[in-house]
Amino acid sequence: MSEKSLFLGIDLGTTNSAAAVFDGTQVHLVRTPQGTTLTPSIVRLDAKGSVTVGAKARRLLDLDPDNTRGEFKRLMGTGQALDFPAAKRQLKPEQLAAEVLKSLRADVQEQFGLAPARAVISVPALFELPQSSATSEAARLAGFERVELIQEPIASALAAGWTTHNAAGSWMVFDLGGGTFDASLLETRDGLLRVIGHDGDNFLGGRDFDHVLVDFVLETLSATQGVRLARADPALAAGLRKLKLAVEDAKIELTREKATSVLVPALQLGAHVLDVDVTLTRDDVTRLCTPLVDRSIAVCVRLLRHHGLDPGQLSRLVLVGGPTVMPVLRQRLQDLLGVTLADGLDPMTLVAQGAALYAASAGLDARPAPKLEEQGRRIWLQYPAMTSDLSPHVVGRLVEEPGPKPVSIQLERHDGWKSAEAPFNEEGAFVLAVDVEPRKPNEFTLRGKTADGKAIALKPSKFSIVQGLTLNDPPLSRTLGVAMANDRVNTYFERGAPLPARRTFRHETVEALVKGQQESVLRIPIVQGEYDHAHLCRLVGALEVRGDQLDATLPAGSQVELTLELDRGGRLSARAMIVSTTQVFEEIAQLLVPEATPEALHGGLQATRDRVTQLRTAAFRHGLTRHIEQLGQVEQTLGEVERDIGAARGGDTDAAQKAKRGLLEIDATLDQLDGDSKFPELEEEAVSAVSWASSLVSRFASPQEQRLFDEAVAGVEKARRARQVHELQRRLRQVRQLGNAAYYRHPDAWPEQFEHAASNLSSMTDLPKAEKLVADGRAAMARGDTTTIKRVTEQLWRLAPADARERQQGHNSSLR
Amino acid sequence: MVPGLFERIAQNPFYVLGLAPTASRTELEREGSKLLSMLQLGFKDALTYRSPLGEHPRTEEAVRAAMAELRDPKRRLVHELLAALPASQTVPAAPQAAPELKWPRAPRVFGYGPKREG
Repeated sequence: MSEKSLFLGIDLGTTNSAAAVFDGTQVHLVRTPQGTTLTPSIVRLDAKGSVTVGAKARRLLDLDPDNTRGEFKRLMGTGQALDFPAAKRQLKPEQLAAEVLKSLRADVQEQFGLAPARAVISVPALFELPQSSATSEAARLAGFERVELIQEPIASALAAGWTTHNAAGSWMVFDLGGGTFDASLLETRDGLLRVIGHDGDNFLGGRDFDHVLVDFVLETLSATQGVRLARADPALAAGLRKLKLAVEDAKIELTREKATSVLVPALQLGAHVLDVDVTLTRDDVTRLCTPLVDRSIAVCVRLLRHHGLDPGQLSRLVLVGGPTVMPVLRQRLQDLLGVTLADGLDPMTLVAQGAALYAASAGLDARPAPKLEEQGRRIWLQYPAMTSDLSPHVVGRLVEEPGPKPVSIQLERHDGWKSAEAPFNEEGAFVLAVDVEPRKPNEFTLRGKTADGKAIALKPSKFSIVQGLTLNDPPLSRTLGVAMANDRVNTYFERGAPLPARRTFRHETVEALVKGQQESVLRIPIVQGEYDHAHLCRLVGALEVRGDQLDATLPAGSQVELTLELDRGGRLSARAMIVSTTQVFEEIAQLLVPEATPEALHGGLQATRDRVTQLRTAAFRHGLTRHIEQLGQVEQTLGEVERDIGAARGGDTDAAQKAKRGLLEIDATLDQLDGDSKFPELEEEAVSAVSWASSLVSRFASPQEQRLFDEAVAGVEKARRARQVHELQRRLRQVRQLGNAAYYRHPDAWPEQFEHAASNLSSMTDLPKAEKLVADGRAAMARGDTTTIKRVTEQLWRLAPADARERQQGHNSSLR
Repeated sequence: MVPGLFERIAQNPFYVLGLAPTASRTELEREGSKLLSMLQLGFKDALTYRSPLGEHPRTEEAVRAAMAELRDPKRRLVHELLAALPASQTVPAAPQAAPELKWPRAPRVFGYGPKREG
């Protein structure tokens, strides 16, 4: 077995996958038996059930398209099984991904002589929880004992940062993969690599470039051969796959040549057999692909602006992914962003290299555990496996067990440098600073001494620290929260929150849950997205408690303590505790990207079109030129969505998902336009809120609260001037929160709230209970008992009914 | 007090990490990493920290969040200002007298209480 550490990183891509190994000093690319560094993410299953993966399977895509599948990464997390008719089997995307991982694992074994047990796998930054979860499952199926996930742009940045010494300043990773586009803004300072922000498009990739070129070829064929051909026609599916391969080859050829031909003799396209010979020029590619390139650049500009930067402030741009070799893309990036492209980095394997480096920073050695265990007194050790710090701390603690134990410890580096000698404290613990040599692995040996000065063996006896970059905790890519019955989102983790993370909130049920009744369900929807309204966010999972699982019937207003936890790779676990009975529920019922049927999508499209019409009428009426322009863009996107719905009818599940996301994003844009048109109202609300809160904050708030208030008010003013609806709403929330905190310190606040709650008595869900509470409240008012008034008022709030429409929009949540 | 405000003062990252507002970036990384290691091994010394509002439990999540806050230069500046206030000024003042409420319905209009209006 390898003496050196072996850290494995895998880029599980939509089109191609790659693996790299870091030994503490150098990164090595893993080669396939054919000697290449890329494994096409393609799997074939023959009639005997034998599996073929990679380059060989790609060749068979042409000959046996029905039993050969690629691009399944785009379906990860959807639960959509793919057919293999020859073997009479259906495989889920994660099972297919597992076959690619097994192939890469075998290549590592071939090259390094051991089957790796642990690895880091990259996922797109904007992957949602179900997609990440499916990736972990694929790794488990491939035989890995443990995996961690890393976001692709962080991996690229880590590899680029490792390769380029003394890089400092802000820079961007432009990662255009086969299926997704990610832009990441990073900063390196004092050896710390920090992700400033992400943006991207989960449904823009090299495949979309291929599609516009395929559409061009089909249009040319339609014009020259007098046949009507459309990508949405399911009868053309097999022929289109062949055509797409030919277009892909032509596209690659055009990175060197000015013109080439897409040649496919006797191509069966539905009922037609055509000899395809269509000339494709670099100018054609430029013309057809520029709108897609510009869409990606617009994302970059938006990301920069969001963080107050201009393109000119970027020190460099790192390109990742196969499509980034296209000359049109490189030229356009230089023209529009005016930034130097980083040289000497391989866009195809950079992510895998970064994942391997990350494996080192996470201490995830791929070597299986040694069969012969070390002897000695056991000790728990904690240290940074990779750090930019030249004097990191090592922390340790003796495991409680009988036998002789050391009273002091010293750490000795492989070249003879020794740390100070530290005593174990009364907890059996120590903290020691060590010096590490730059840019290399530093192996340390633990030297323990007993009270009589004799050496004592410790287990583990050695550990190593690689001096390099410190990577900040991976940030959460999308805000995660729980949908409430009033269509609001209770945010648990904000976008950018460092992972791992864990948070607990108490909620109340909006209706009774009857013991023993299966149809009585407490539903806790978990959503991801950047909006306050639950219906605008994506449902990524739900925790459901049925009445037949309950120990006791729960009245409306019962308290539920909910804990959400995310690990470093963004995997979610949830735990709901019924406070009154302490019964705990942990199973997430649904962790799938919700299905999108063409019928439902068509309905959504229609509704969106109606909304666009209404908004356009309002925009014309009020002369809002900018809105009219934006609505024009929305209509263009709706055209794309319609095309995708067409493809979804032809059986393209991925297109269905793309259409669903498109509609959701358009919905959010329309909401913003809607909000924008109501900006004067919002401004008025802001003025009132600030004036109301100012008087309360000045009398009842602490100096810190006052300072926070000043900060919030300044934010309100800034957002007003810049007409930023979301920012103004966010700042207003802060103002109200501070004002409200102060308000509730006013002696008249609770009596006033009680009177208001009591005035809504007739609509309460449990009238007898509410009546009793109101009577209690009145008595408390008479004797001036504020504590009771507060308690009664809070209980009355819990009995207020939930609005049915809001609840449906809140993914049928049972909580408030 | 509304949840979140007390926490915002008590969870000032400098207090959580036990660092002065003048701490360098390297010190922040070193101390944060040390605290995380100590917490993972259950060191008694690491389980609590002090702020002007008293003693609070220190968790790994809080340390990670504090490190993330201080790595961002803009967000760090706000925490520096708050942590630099003299300790005696940080405890919320008790109201002296009940002033007249300028707009009693405002909290409800702004979404507090059982039902929003307007």
